[in-house]
Amino acid sequence: MIFRTFKLLACLMFCVAPALVGTRIAASQSERTLSGEWIVVSSPINGSIGSPKGTTLGFPDRDMVFAQQGDLRTGVVLREDVGQNVRPLGVWRVTGDQFSATFQLWCPDPDGPCGSIVMRGQFVRDDKISGTMTAFFDQPDNSTPTGYDTWTFSFVGNRAAGSGSGGSN
Amino acid sequence: MISRVDHFRKRATAAFAAMLLLIAVAPAAFAGNELAGKWTLSVTIPDSPGSNTTRTFAVNVIVSPRGESLHGRLDITDESGKTVGGAWRQVGKQLSITYELPCPGDGPCASLILLGRVKGGGVLIKKGQVIVMWDTPNNKNPALYDTSNGSFRGTRLE
Repeated sequence: MIFRTFKLLACLMFCVAPALVGTRIAASQSERTLSGEWIVVSSPINGSIGSPKGTTLGFPDRDMVFAQQGDLRTGVVLREDVGQNVRPLGVWRVTGDQFSATFQLWCPDPDGPCGSIVMRGQFVRDDKISGTMTAFFDQPDNSTPTGYDTWTFSFVGNRAAGSGSGGSN
Repeated sequence: MISRVDHFRKRATAAFAAMLLLIAVAPAAFAGNELAGKWTLSVTIPDSPGSNTTRTFAVNVIVSPRGESLHGRLDITDESGKTVGGAWRQVGKQLSITYELPCPGDGPCASLILLGRVKGGGVLIKKGQVIVMWDTPNNKNPALYDTSNGSFRGTRLE
């Protein structure tokens, strides 16, 4: 009886526990998340300093914070370069190594053009992303398929030091 | 004479009560054109990149008031009950909503930008336009991904 109990305990230690640990490692490797803080640096793909209709976006470095609560995935850009409380909002999703994020631009001038940003990227590592972002401005442009002024960038992002990659924050 | 005064008082009280009731049951009419509130949107977009076949779906939207960044959040619930988040901004009557389509199964997925104007005293969105940016790369498109156009309309629920 004692020998059987010992065998059961041994099996639990050497058979079941490694399997559980292995499952957790595999899960963490397969599930990417943007949750956390990222420093994203962008540059116009063709080196142009403005959109085809002449709109610019300013400073290329962006401090972005992403969070997830259930199916609600939110993002915020910390625009402390223009104001402590300026925080444009967005949303995101992840499929495998690919992600998509969508943001509204901050446009304090009601008479000026405004727009929205769509990011498409992939995880290089858990703490590094890269891809392209497309600005769709509210200005008409008959030369584009959508009919709106469109400007594209490439970007690279690094997870900020100390920013966790947990599922929710 | 007394009965006339009483009659006048009763009518004045009734008119005042009717005015209060009108304010209570029609808050949208007094909310201006701000999007914040509950809406149902009917969105029509192509069913895939380059397709001429469209699909129309309804979503219920709960729009939170704008914060200090001139932006607000919204919760978008589709007909299957799935809820995702979105972001919005508004200048005057002109509004923009962005969100990521939920992507069930192997179907094509996309980001949506909805552009429209709040009308009817803040209760309607008519002839809104939709920019669809699909997940499929396309170097010939200025957006570097396939894009499509769609339309939407909205009715305020609350």
